[in-house]
Amino acid sequence: MSLSHYLVVSAALFLIGLFGALTRRNTIGILMSIELIFNAANLNLVAFNRYLHFDALHGNVITLFVMGIAAAEAVVGLALLMAIYRNLNTIYAEDFNLLKG
Amino acid sequence: MEQIVFYSLSAVTLIAALGVVTMRNVLHSALMLGVALMGVAGLFAALGADFLFAGQIVIYVTGVAVLVLFVVMLAGRESDLHARQTNEKWPLAVAICAVIFFGFWRCIAPYAGTPTRTQPEPSTRAIGKLLLSDYALPFELISLILIAAMIGAILFSRGGSAAEDAP
Repeated sequence: MSLSHYLVVSAALFLIGLFGALTRRNTIGILMSIELIFNAANLNLVAFNRYLHFDALHGNVITLFVMGIAAAEAVVGLALLMAIYRNLNTIYAEDFNLLKG
Repeated sequence: MEQIVFYSLSAVTLIAALGVVTMRNVLHSALMLGVALMGVAGLFAALGADFLFAGQIVIYVTGVAVLVLFVVMLAGRESDLHARQTNEKWPLAVAICAVIFFGFWRCIAPYAGTPTRTQPEPSTRAIGKLLLSDYALPFELISLILIAAMIGAILFSRGGSAAEDAP
């Protein structure tokens, strides 16, 4: 397997995630699509680490940091979503039209 | 053998990812998210990143995907199952993705013939050494971020004002 195979898979994963983030009405769906985008970026980092800079593991370490940030983002995003759901009783993105209400 | 592993893992990952963005029932797409993350973990293993394989399963499949499942079940309504889950701009989104894919293809094409030169070897020890030497400061910062995220999540999900809850 050459490097480009992994890059094509990661590009496809990124584009699927982007498509989901652009088209889902459900905010939880948008958050899931963003997780897919994070995973595409991680796959790219690990693939470049393996094929081009195989003497060190900097790509793997940065991937670990991305995982930590993504977990923090998911936790805060979902908590915000629950707070919005309690106040507005909806999770559809087009219904979020109040800053204070 | 390597080809079989790579193509089957890629197929699982991409089909599950398509399920995540197209399924009508959000609960099903959350389950598909778990499958897609599992497929990415398999690709990490195929790339020889054994520690990241374990980390992906522990953090994403059993952490983030389960959290998303909980929120789907807490914030869902019966009527969601019959409502349209995508907005009407999806042809535009397909066009945007196609254009970006051509851009990506221009970037990917030069790497078509790059083979790997080394055998994968266990990486956990080297990652631990890097985390405590070159990346010591980011390592401490991420613990700060995780604490901040935890406090923020508790604050947002507590519900009601503090005055109401006080006895």
